[in-house]
Parts: sequence; C-alpha cells; structure tokens
Amino acid sequence: MPTPADAPPFDRPALLSALRARIARLERSGATEALSARGEDAIPLSRAIDAGLPWGGLPRAALHEILAAEPGAAAGFAALVLARAGGTVLWIAPDPDAWPPGLARFGLSPAHLVLVRAPRAQDALWAMEETLRCPAVGAALLMTGALDLTAARRLQLAAEAGGVLGLLLRPDEDNASPTAALTRWRIGATPSDSASPHAIGDPAWSLDLLRCRGGRPATWRATWHGEDLVTEEGATPARQRA
Amino acid sequence: MRRRCCGTPRIGEGAPRGQPPAPPAALPIDLFANATAVPLPLPAPFATGSGEVAASPAGVQEAAPPGRAHPDPHRRTLALLLPRLPVERLRRPGPVAVWAQRGAQRVVVSVSTEAEAAGLRVGQALADAQAILPGVVLVPEDAAGDAVMLGRLALWCLRFTPLVGVEAQDGLLLDITGVAHLFGGEAALRAEVLGRLARLGLTARGAVAGAPGTALALVRAGSGGVVAAGEEAAAARPLSLAALRLEPRLVSALHGLGLRDVGSVAAQPRPGLVRRFGTGLARALEEALGQAARPISPIRPPPEMQVAQDFADPVVTREGIEAALGLLLEALCRALREAGRGARRMLLRAHRVDGAVQEVAIGTGLATRDPKHLVRLFHGKLERLEPDCGYDRITLEAPGTDPLTGVQESLGTAGRAARQAELAQLLDRLSQRLPVWRLAPRASHWPERAMARVNAFEPMEMPVHWAPRPRPVRLLRRPPALEVMAEVPDGPPFRLRLGRIWQRVLRAEGPERIEPEWWRDRPDRLPRDYYRVELDSGVRLWVCRAGPMGPQGRWVLHGHLP
Repeated sequence: MPTPADAPPFDRPALLSALRARIARLERSGATEALSARGEDAIPLSRAIDAGLPWGGLPRAALHEILAAEPGAAAGFAALVLARAGGTVLWIAPDPDAWPPGLARFGLSPAHLVLVRAPRAQDALWAMEETLRCPAVGAALLMTGALDLTAARRLQLAAEAGGVLGLLLRPDEDNASPTAALTRWRIGATPSDSASPHAIGDPAWSLDLLRCRGGRPATWRATWHGEDLVTEEGATPARQRA
Repeated sequence: MRRRCCGTPRIGEGAPRGQPPAPPAALPIDLFANATAVPLPLPAPFATGSGEVAASPAGVQEAAPPGRAHPDPHRRTLALLLPRLPVERLRRPGPVAVWAQRGAQRVVVSVSTEAEAAGLRVGQALADAQAILPGVVLVPEDAAGDAVMLGRLALWCLRFTPLVGVEAQDGLLLDITGVAHLFGGEAALRAEVLGRLARLGLTARGAVAGAPGTALALVRAGSGGVVAAGEEAAAARPLSLAALRLEPRLVSALHGLGLRDVGSVAAQPRPGLVRRFGTGLARALEEALGQAARPISPIRPPPEMQVAQDFADPVVTREGIEAALGLLLEALCRALREAGRGARRMLLRAHRVDGAVQEVAIGTGLATRDPKHLVRLFHGKLERLEPDCGYDRITLEAPGTDPLTGVQESLGTAGRAARQAELAQLLDRLSQRLPVWRLAPRASHWPERAMARVNAFEPMEMPVHWAPRPRPVRLLRRPPALEVMAEVPDGPPFRLRLGRIWQRVLRAEGPERIEPEWWRDRPDRLPRDYYRVELDSGVRLWVCRAGPMGPQGRWVLHGHLP
C-alpha cells in the first residue's frame, strides 16, 4: 500500500483518515460532478441529528433505507426528507397511497410530487434506477419489500451517478438483511407531548439510526413543530444493531 | 314464403327471391376499431421508397371534399376484390366449399377453384353441392373470422399506400394517388399487389380508376385493368348489373324491364328511376360512373409523416431491427425538424415476409424529435415483435405531431430548460411501462375526491386557498373495518381493535363531520364523523364512523397520520 508522502510516518490516525477520505473519493467519484452543480450535498434534518451524522446531514447521491415501524410516522419522515431535497420527487410504489393534503404539512407540495404505480418488483426497481440516474429529479422514494444486496447496490450506484437522493421505504423487520444503503433508519411513533386528551398535538417520532456508514448508531426522539424537527437526545440506545 | 320454400332451388340462379343473400355493406365486426370516416387528406407525393429511406410531410391543411361533392379528378384508387377469401384462408387442399344458413336454407357461399371446376357454384343449395361432388369438404361460414382476415390484409396493404379502407366483406380500397410512380406506374403497382396476393395463396381481382366507385364496379363485374382518368363512365357502361351490388330483387326487376347493363340503366331518365327503385340505385349508378365521390374509411388514420425501409434479405435479429429503427428515426427526426414539428406518438410497423403485420407504438408527454430519447422509448417495446421468418419492410410513422420550434436559450434559463427536458424524458420512459400521474387539489371536501389524478407532464397550478390541514399522509384505498368502544354512544373512541388486539386510545380529536356532496353523490351515502386518535403506543390514526351513532355506525380506519 503506498503511503502518502506528506504524512508523518508514525501518525496513525492521520494516515487512517487520509486513506478513508481517499476511499470515499473513489467510491463517490461519479457523484461529485452532479453534486457540485447543486451547491450543498447533504440535507439538514435537525441540529442534533446533523451533528450525529458524518456528513453534517443526510447526504444526496446516496441510498437511504427507512424501516417503517409505524406507517404514518415513516411516511411523514420520508416526506420531510423528500421536501428538503427540493425539486421534483417521485413516489414509486405498488399502489401509491401518498396523500398530498397530509404531506403538505412537511413542505412537500403536490406540484412537486409525481406518483408511479409499479405492481411488479422488477418494474419498480427499473423505475427507481431510471429515476435515480436522472439529475433533474430531487429525490425518489421506493416502497418495497426486502431487497437483495445486488439490487440495492445497483440503486446506490445509480444514485451516485445521478446525484439523486434515494429512499427505500420498507416494512419493519427485526433482523433486516445487510444492505448497500448508506444509512438505515427505523422510524416509529411515540406519544406526543400534548397535555389534553382531546388534542393529539404535534407528531412525535422515534428515530433510530440503526446503521450508518462511517458513523455511529443513535436514537433520537423528534417532534415536528411548525416547520422544524425538534430533537432531544434519546436516553435509550438503539434497540438492536441491524 | 312457405310455398316457395317447397320448391327445389335452381342451380346457378342466385339466392331465392324472398331472401337477400347477405346484408349488403354490413361488415360483421369491425375489429380495427378506428375505421372512422376521417376526412381524407390528399396523400401528397408520398415517399414509400423501395430500398431507400425517405420522408415526406403530408399536407394537413388540404381538407377533403365533402361527401357528395364532385369527385377529385386527380385521385386514383385501386380496388381489390377477394372472391374466394372464406375458402382460401382455410388453406385446405382439394375441393372445399363454405356454406351458411340463409333463412330456411343452407347455401354455398364460397367455393375453391377445384370445387368450381367440378360444378359447384356460389348460391347453390348445400344438398345440391353434396350431390354433385360427394367428396367436397364443407366448412360452415365464419363471418367474424373472414372480417379479421380482411382486416389483416388491409394492414398488409399499408405497405403500398398509407390510406387503405375495407369495403364490405370481400373488398379493399387503396388510395394510390401519388404512390404509383414508386412501383413503376399504376399497371405495375396493380400487378405487384396481385402477384404478392397470389404468393400468399389468395385469388384477387384488381382495378385502378379515378373514382373508387368505378374501380369497385369493375372488380365486382369480374373485369379489371387500369382505367385512365376521365374514362370512368365509358368503362362502367358495358358492365353487368352485378357491378352495382344491388339487392337481387332489384336486379331481377331491372332485368324484367330489359335493362341488363349499367349503361342502359344510366340512360334512363333519373327521376323515374328514383321514383320506382329508390335513391340507392341512383347513388350506386353515380358512384360507378364516377359522378359522385365515394369516401374511403381508412383503417388507420393517414400519418402526418412516414418513413420506410425495405430489405432485400429479411431482418430477423434484434440488432438488425435496432439498426433499422435507428436509421428510420434519424430520417423521421430530420423531416420533423425541417417541418418545425415534434412527434407526440410514433408507430413502428413491421411487415413480415409471410404477410403478417406487427405494430409497436410509443407516446411522449411533450413533443420531441430527439432520436436518442425516442430510441430509448422504443427499446423496451421491441421485445413484443415476433420476427418469425423476418421482416422485409419496416415503416415508422408519426400519427400525431405538435409544433416544436427550436428553443432559444438565454443565460439564465439554459440550465432550467435542459433540466425540464430531462425530467420530461424520464417521465416519458417511465410512462411507457407504468402509469405515472400527479395529484392535483380539487374543490371537494370529501376525502376520496379531494385530489384528482392529472397528467404528469403539465405544470400544476395550486389553488390559492389550498392549505395543509391535519390530514393523513397515507389514505387507505380499502379502509379496514375497526371495532370501537366509546364511553358514551356519541363520544370519541375509547378503545379500538385493529386486527386482533384491543388498544387503548390515549387522545382523540374530533369529531369532524363530513357530509356527502348531494350534488354529486348517490342519495344513500351516509355522513362521516372523523376522529384523529393517538393510541397509547403513539400510533396516530384517522378513523371514521359512517352512519349514525350507536351500533348501526360502521367504523373504519381511513388513513395514517404522521
């Protein structure tokens, strides 16, 4: 292995970080071009979460996996990510039931949402890959079941080529298989802070970052308050490592 | 009637008098449903090049003459008659006859050449035919099958001209205005068509004339050939009355008057003829003499643009088809650019060597003439072609085009326009295989009607007053039923059962009463009371009770709240 010439010979951490950066550059060579046109390459979620992620937010040009412990909360979180990615977003599902009146609360306007119905798994994967390769799209969401590693890797490569953020929305399962996605989240619902039994208050979610390439798993409890995601550091550790 | 049925039917005299043999000019089933009477644009010099790629925009602006106006003197028509189609499409060796039930009688409606040589005739009673030739293969008539076969032949004829119409049960009309020179003249074109039909094993008669009615009269009377422009009346006069395709009753009445050919009928004073025999005869006469126009109902609307490629050796492989498609697309896109238009639909038509015709169509959301994009749209669909023994001709046409002028890009909008075009191309590709749509808000408070599916390609205008409300992010299309317990009959849910587990409701907001829209709904639709509930697990649901409070009300889960 060639040693970088400028690094001091015994500075192990510096050497390692240089090599990591190099590998990261190699892995994402295709995406840099597409991302440089957009300015920033990570989507901010909230201050606490951004600090916990190595990219300072949820990176574009990558695939992220969301395990839906609760369908409503997961769809809300996905809508939030899609809306913050900006531009036209595609929602690909066997039977897309996304409903804009509710999604609009998270900033996702119906004018930016395109729905694609793909009952067959091959069609859905093809549509997702085509979408991720198109730089004119902001983000794409695919509702799917379990995905094999090859398909996920293909989608990850397509996302890198197009600079598009891809979301995989899957039903929750306890021992999820390994994935090629950059991060894996489990989104569940928690009781809200509302004091009255006659008002359900702001949406409150539990966000488990189960897997994160180059980062640590973590748990947050987040509340959607007005236009912002307000988080408090979760006291409980991640339920389990998936 | 009953008395006549007792007599033996005479041989070779046509159908019995009381019963016209077949409903004239009534095609049993129109399988090619778009045989609408489109106004016929004059096929402008049409480039169906043999061996070379060529393109030509046909004039859209040239409107057709209205139905009964004087026929167009420049139009040329080739009429084809397939008298033995019901027998020949069976492809059986030996003497064959097709019979059908006509009233109380079974009569022969079509005979093969061998059977005719043995003495069988069309219109003979079935028993007579069996007596004359006991070994004849008898097949019951299948009018729908014949119509399908004729429709297929009409598609096949599109290799000669883009304007082909089906005529009754056994005829085809080809508008060959401006195409004959590509085949070396009208006589050569006629010979080519008849020769190719003979190779397919079909007996056919063909005649070329200026008026479609004259050409049809010629083939129906048993002759053929090419009639020069302006000679229609002279050519039609000596024909027998069979040329006019009249009811047998009318023919025998005319025979009774001593009128045995078209010319002698035409010489009679017209008012008297109309008074005695109706306008049908007069109309048939005028059409046959070329004095009245007869419209052709094309099986496919004539395309605005078309390019074609012929192959000396049939193309079988996918690579070959793709290469041909690339060439054709390039030529068509060049023609589109010159005309300042972009295609909205495209149709690839592949003519197989054995006469079958296969079609592949694509559509685009926005007008386009980018060959690279169009190739990708065709890519997934080429799998449907079945090049069994290969294609000897592939045509590509643009049935629908829109004006598309070059886009002038300014400094500020260059990137945006390119991005929009890219997005439109992506949606095009997706919509070739999958349904793609957007949801637009609609003025309705009924949840299922609040959003309407709209075209994904059109930019959406948001209504001014549309604001987000506490609504579910996912609306279930088939809402599952719930079991609900409430402390008081009209109170919010206290416990609810979804699936097998009873869950406690922590918080409930509501009710929100939504009344059915009486101006739109059926009258028995019940009002709904919606609650937003939070279970003790934190799950938030949008549940509703349809109908009255108490045990009659039906509870369903209608959506998931975030």
